[in-house]
Amino acid sequence: MNSENPGLSKYTISFGLSLTLASAVNALLVVAKEKNPKVMAGLQRLTGHHWVSHGAIVLAVFAGFGWLLAQAHRRRGMEMTASRLTGLLIFGVTIGGLIIVGFYLTAG
Amino acid sequence: MNQLILMAHVFFGVACLVAAVWIFVDVLNASASNQARIRKISWAAALAMWLSFLIGGYWYVVFYKADKNIILKGPWPFAHHFFMETKEHLVIMLLLLATYLPIAAANNLTVNKGARGLVLCVSGMMALLALLMEGDGAIIAMGVKVALLAK
Repeated sequence: MNSENPGLSKYTISFGLSLTLASAVNALLVVAKEKNPKVMAGLQRLTGHHWVSHGAIVLAVFAGFGWLLAQAHRRRGMEMTASRLTGLLIFGVTIGGLIIVGFYLTAG
Repeated sequence: MNQLILMAHVFFGVACLVAAVWIFVDVLNASASNQARIRKISWAAALAMWLSFLIGGYWYVVFYKADKNIILKGPWPFAHHFFMETKEHLVIMLLLLATYLPIAAANNLTVNKGARGLVLCVSGMMALLALLMEGDGAIIAMGVKVALLAK
């Protein structure tokens, strides 16, 4: 448990931050693979389908960073208020979504 | 078989949407009496989303190419260029939110106002994204239909 948020577990904070990061990675990977044929080909080679590789990378970022951040501060995890975490989550998901929608709106 | 896979994808997607709305309403009235139910439904939402994602992903990788060719030759190529392209990437964010939901709902929602706000935010974004995915899916299906009707 986090000392500043007695009811908020360390995994809630670490995976919440990780979700924000994974949303950004998801959006940036869309732009990178659509703009750079080498990135697209690399993703294609990795699993046989670019979308499968894309999804696997984003899920790995989410799981990996979520676990890693939970190990911070001698396994006590990160410290953050619930309102700040909620704000970051909304920001990450909204920005990630807008980048994807905006990219395909302008690319199409 | 192809159609059954697609129907199962939609079924579990709608189940996730319903579960997200259920959690949102239950959390607005969070108390000791409904906390266990909120946690169970949050797991159900995550399970439904994973099933929808895996089934839809299989259909996309194996069967979608034929539909894509039909759409691109028809009057609604944007059904692929915009709606399918955004759907296949936004759905990953929905999967992340659904996976995170049981983690957030594991907190004591009865006493922790911040945790309640967080679960409300996650389930609310899930419901909006799931609704968007359903709409995208309908437009993609319509893209195939108008292309076939135009032949």
